[in-house]
Amino acid sequence: MNPEPTIQMPAQWSTIAPEVDYMYYFIYWVSVVFTIGIFGSMGWFMWKYRRRPGVKAKPTGHNFGLEIFWTFTPLLLLAYLFHAGFQGYLHGTVVPDDHVEIRVRGMQWNWEFEHPGGVIDTYNELKVPVNKPVQLIMSSNDVLHSFYVPLFRVKRDVVPGMYTSLWFEATHTTGEVTGCTQDAQCGEGQSCYYGNCIAQCQQDSDCWEAIGEGSWCGGQVGDETRICALPVFCAEYCGAGSGITRSAFDDPDGSGRNTNHSTMMADLRIISQEGYDRFLEVGPPPPAECATTDATCEGEECKACWGQSLYQSSGCSACHSSDGSPGPAPTWQGLWENQRTFMNGAEPAVADRNYIRESILNPQARIVEGFGNVAMPAYRLSDNQIDAIIAYIQTLSE
Amino acid sequence: MTVEAATAVPSDASHEAGDNYLTHERGLKSWLITLDHKRIGILYLASVLLAFLLGGVFAILVRTELMFKGQTLMEADTYNQMFTLHGAIMVFLFIIPSIPAALGNFILPIQLGAKDVAFPRLNLASFYIYMLGTVCLVVAIVVGEVNTGWTLYAPYSIGRNVTGAGSSVLWVTLGVFIAGFSSILTGVNFMATVHKMRAPGMHWKRLPLFIWGLYATAVIQVLATPVLAITLVLLFMEHTLSIGIFDPQLGGDPVLFQHFFWFYSHPAVYIMILPGMAVVNELIATFSHRKIFGYMFIAMSSITLALLSFLVWGHHMFASGMSEYATMVFSALTFLVAIPSGVKVFNWLATLYQGSISFASPMLYALGFIALFTIGGLTGLFLGTISTDIHLHDTYFVVAHFHYVMVGGTVFGFLGGLHYWWPKMVGKMYDEKLAKISWFLVFLGFNVTFFSQFIMGSQGMPRRYYDYLDQFQPLHMTSSGGAYILAVGFLIMAYMFYKSLRSGEKAPPNPWASAGYEWMTTSPPHPHNFEETPVITRGPYDYHLCTEEELWDGFPEDFPGEKAKA
Repeated sequence: MNPEPTIQMPAQWSTIAPEVDYMYYFIYWVSVVFTIGIFGSMGWFMWKYRRRPGVKAKPTGHNFGLEIFWTFTPLLLLAYLFHAGFQGYLHGTVVPDDHVEIRVRGMQWNWEFEHPGGVIDTYNELKVPVNKPVQLIMSSNDVLHSFYVPLFRVKRDVVPGMYTSLWFEATHTTGEVTGCTQDAQCGEGQSCYYGNCIAQCQQDSDCWEAIGEGSWCGGQVGDETRICALPVFCAEYCGAGSGITRSAFDDPDGSGRNTNHSTMMADLRIISQEGYDRFLEVGPPPPAECATTDATCEGEECKACWGQSLYQSSGCSACHSSDGSPGPAPTWQGLWENQRTFMNGAEPAVADRNYIRESILNPQARIVEGFGNVAMPAYRLSDNQIDAIIAYIQTLSE
Repeated sequence: MTVEAATAVPSDASHEAGDNYLTHERGLKSWLITLDHKRIGILYLASVLLAFLLGGVFAILVRTELMFKGQTLMEADTYNQMFTLHGAIMVFLFIIPSIPAALGNFILPIQLGAKDVAFPRLNLASFYIYMLGTVCLVVAIVVGEVNTGWTLYAPYSIGRNVTGAGSSVLWVTLGVFIAGFSSILTGVNFMATVHKMRAPGMHWKRLPLFIWGLYATAVIQVLATPVLAITLVLLFMEHTLSIGIFDPQLGGDPVLFQHFFWFYSHPAVYIMILPGMAVVNELIATFSHRKIFGYMFIAMSSITLALLSFLVWGHHMFASGMSEYATMVFSALTFLVAIPSGVKVFNWLATLYQGSISFASPMLYALGFIALFTIGGLTGLFLGTISTDIHLHDTYFVVAHFHYVMVGGTVFGFLGGLHYWWPKMVGKMYDEKLAKISWFLVFLGFNVTFFSQFIMGSQGMPRRYYDYLDQFQPLHMTSSGGAYILAVGFLIMAYMFYKSLRSGEKAPPNPWASAGYEWMTTSPPHPHNFEETPVITRGPYDYHLCTEEELWDGFPEDFPGEKAKA
């Protein structure tokens, strides 16, 4: 990547990154000069004036001029730092006119992204066009979160009860732009992703080779078709669910993903403008391992496969187990067409299509007996995605 | 060995030297209801050291968990509780009371030539209030599940969400609220003492710089701590009565909580660092045998820092959703803090120049302070500059920065002061060789632990993370390794002090050949500090006015025994 990451800073992937790094290195060199000056003189005095028999300390004099000098000259430097830092900040605050506006909603511990035209992407996946200013309008459903992409040098808290925003313009794609329509048109180990050939990876090092340090393997651990992405971190502390022990980054089933503050991540994929336009047209597709093309998912097998993928990527697995083991929320094993009893006086009902749909879109409507401690957030999924989840739940009762 | 042990029997020695505060009264009761500032200081010292041990254990658990990716020791939620307790205990129960309440209580009246603090009963009350606060925090630990982070940010701490904090947050809130009053009362007490109880001849320009520092600290304690109390009451009411001030679900504003919280907690940073600087002034002067350079500039820089500390709280919130104008103003004010901090460092260096520098263990802590505080201060420039702060905020860079200031600064100041005044407090010397070894390990371990965190942070590793990407593994491993070195250093230090208590050599009144006033009395001091009220005829750093005999042999009129020995 250009420019390369350094020992202190990750690679620069946004238009604002070089500006931030310039300030960082300016302060760094100022600090180096001061440190050498202070440590050097301290070391020299420690050696030269070490206590020796018969040598007494010289009485301390006054030097008002010197005091005034070192009190007021640093002000000039500080004034410059303030000015330059504020200028950079303003640049990062004022978004250019021709931008794309994406809504971001943070919730424990997922990211939801709503694109122009109301297209809601798969949870924890953010697609943005390259070389185009993108403004994020952010809000939170529950506690404080913070949207942070180190390679862009942008960060902003996501606050419940108010909107915050930030913008960036990505300078590189996370894949090679080729105008492909299927995987076969890309090289070995690459997937066709909205017209972009994107490297697949088994571990992070594959990504580093393909798109540079600071990137990582997006999607679920263990997927055949995990593809390279940049990590979006949540930088403001937002807690953890109980029973989270496993690493989100190593385990084959990736069950630690999006289950607590440290794994509240999203995969950032920077694609060509054409690819982004196509995404806005067709919406979030089933994952490549389930479907042959990126828009269609015919048949129950594909749907169940997609549902299983959503189960993990949308954070359902944080509370609902799929193997009958107990958790903060009802298990999905044997859920399909099972009789449910509810806490808030609602009539008992059978877990059918309508019930599952309601539980996803409006989870507080009916709460299953014994599960009142944890309030599930509402999920905004497309009808296709909800069908996929239902198909997956059906397979768990077979 | 037996011969040495025999000569170190305290009863013989103290009879020879006369009555002292340790032997004046005996029994547990005489300690628990004592009004003697020295004994209260010792009670505080024991308590803050216990808190330090507890906070340190949590720190080691946190670092061990982070040594490897995924689970090493505990679940994510347990990990969150560990760093919350580490932060809350270290800040509220250790660092804030460490220098003012423990060392300050013991030394301040003696340095003033006073018999006690202005309000001895209030002093004892403030200790018990601190203990009550501690008990509430312990209850919170036992009840369990305080996982909010020490900052208690709303709405997480209100706990009406998916998994928010439980009712144990109420105990933490209560504990910190109560402990805050201890801090306020100590501040009031010190201010009154400094104004009204100075010995004859001690005008303001002869005041030891330790006292100037504690005075500036007291001003902040008295003015800022009530704001924390109000904030905590509001949080408590939000939790129990749902008044809707911080909770967005009730129309409250979570950013308002941050404003309130930092309006106290930023000045609190200076409640922590000013006393550390104050100790370093004493150490630099004593071990350079030279009057401190720019006395008034150092004294005034403490006052300036105290005042500026009230105006910069917003720099914790550049990424929080504050307006651009507020961000600009807070950034500008933040840079001003660099000026008085720099003045102190430059003046310390100028004091070393042409001095006669001894490298006794307290001085090693003072020199370590200058080095680490310089790094801590300069990395503050990255965080005060808005554009770079946006990238670094809430990453390990910030964690490293404030540990350099809090540990490299305050804790090094505290340890330096503890080594320095130990002979005065307990009347015994310690094993200097062990002290130097433990200093070296602490200094080394500290830098290994936290320097690696600067790099982690600028590379984009967010803080309070239970798990992390592959690329951070080597740096996390290094940092944890440093933490173990640090722990070994502290264990050796604990053994060294224990050995001193058991079998330390008897301390002369002025073991460091200091011109400071507190060394004019016996070690340990008389119950009333001095046999007679001292009359001050020179400044506390006037080495050029002291005779060799005064410096090395103590002060004959107070301590005839040592004079004869010399």
